[in-house]
Amino acid sequence: MNDSTQFDAARQARRITEQAVSWYIEQQEPLSERQRVAFLNWLRASPRHVAEYFAVAQMHGDFKAAAILKTITAEELVERAGRDSPVVMFPLMGSAIAKEHRPRTGRARRVAARAAGLVAAVLMAWLGVGYWREANGRVERSFQGDTAAVRSVTLPDGTLVQLDQNSRIDVHFDGRFRRIEVVRGNALFDVGKDAKRPMLVHVGGHVLQDIGTVFDVKREAGGDTLTVISGHVRVLNALDASHKDEFASLLDGIAVADLTAGQQISLNVAGVSTKQPAQIARATAWLPSEIRFQHETIGNVARRFNAYTSKPLVIENESIADERISGIFHADNPQAFAAYLSTLPDVRVVEERDRVRIVASSRTATKNGSM
Amino acid sequence: MREKHGAWSALFAEKGATLSKYFLRRVAHRWDAQDLVQEVYLRLLRIEPADAANIRSPEAYLFTVAANLVKEHAVLRQQQPMGSDELEQVVEQLAAPTNLEADMDSELRQQRLGVLIDRLSPKCKAVLIMHYRDELSYREIAKRMAISTSMVKKYIVKGLAACRQRMADYE
Repeated sequence: MNDSTQFDAARQARRITEQAVSWYIEQQEPLSERQRVAFLNWLRASPRHVAEYFAVAQMHGDFKAAAILKTITAEELVERAGRDSPVVMFPLMGSAIAKEHRPRTGRARRVAARAAGLVAAVLMAWLGVGYWREANGRVERSFQGDTAAVRSVTLPDGTLVQLDQNSRIDVHFDGRFRRIEVVRGNALFDVGKDAKRPMLVHVGGHVLQDIGTVFDVKREAGGDTLTVISGHVRVLNALDASHKDEFASLLDGIAVADLTAGQQISLNVAGVSTKQPAQIARATAWLPSEIRFQHETIGNVARRFNAYTSKPLVIENESIADERISGIFHADNPQAFAAYLSTLPDVRVVEERDRVRIVASSRTATKNGSM
Repeated sequence: MREKHGAWSALFAEKGATLSKYFLRRVAHRWDAQDLVQEVYLRLLRIEPADAANIRSPEAYLFTVAANLVKEHAVLRQQQPMGSDELEQVVEQLAAPTNLEADMDSELRQQRLGVLIDRLSPKCKAVLIMHYRDELSYREIAKRMAISTSMVKKYIVKGLAACRQRMADYE
């Protein structure tokens, strides 16, 4: 079977499943005569419909048993659902997504967005910034890696991208999503925080949904590799959503994989491999072996180190993060950098299991205060 | 189907006699189950258009046809006819006839479903658990989630379909 027929078969199977589930759910209320006829016609259309309907009926029974085992309280469920960034994005469908607004809030949001866009445009004109094609946080741009060295790009949302030689990414940011397509090569992302606009990275047929995270994407002829350095990345199958109707099913669909720090998978047309422990050093071997910085903020330098380690440096104090320093370090030795930071006045380094916290040493602060 | 058959032959070759009787019986059922779907389907096709409109509940009709067919087969195979929970067993047997799922015991299926539920989007998961575990109505769920009842229904359909699709992947 070639890819496209396999793809069509999968799509058809999903359609049958959705129809079977819809009909099954409809039975909770007595059907109208028109519905009864439609349901019977649907069953009579194919033996696969009949088989799938039975399968759904069986799953319905199992579902209750499976749900009962969940110990999470309803309050927690509601709370987590509220925190959820509402939509996951499929990059090839950019224009269709805008129509996914809920009608009630759509108008208000559009008006607000227009107003915000105006402010941003005015502000930019004032600042004379024309570098980005951007308004209201919108960006449409392609980045090529240099031919000689790894290139660092900072996007307007604070996302830091390292691009290997001859690599290319396409960036599409709009009011609702931050989408980046890894066209070729190797790129490492340290994702900036923007709770309102989920970051979605498109790699071949897969979408990676990040949540505040550093990860590496490598595209090769034989397949793609995703390595999560720190944080959490969810992989969704973009092949699932080929047109607008099916987009919705991707949103509420099941993640192909969930990865946390130090895990790696390979992605190809056939699917996703099992998760494996990653060798971070190998995955990031293409990055420069030294970190050089001149008069750069501690916050930014720490982020550069965090590309290399699953135990990120977290600068918890803003005034420390904003302090500017210069130096050269071995990239694979964030401990040396942390040790250096600990020599700065009023800085304390706290080693934890999954992170290294850089905090203001309160003892000194109080001492100073009392003096 | 040939592929499935090949896979089973390979399994038998590998595991040998230890599996034999239990599995042979189950496999026999599997082929029956597929035939049954086919037979149920043919009976549905035979319904006259005039009669179709008179079927009060097509779903009950469907299950009844299936249950009767299983009974007939049981008699043919000189087994005990099915008991009171026959419907459940019919459904069990008919579900996705050519898949391993039908051979999985329900505990394993439920375990897998449990994993899949956790991988749904948080909204979908919340709606489904409140509906299936806490037995809340669409209206109650809608109120707690601050969404419309039609959205609640949509999440239930999407979530069930997503889980069913992934369960089918185990086949």
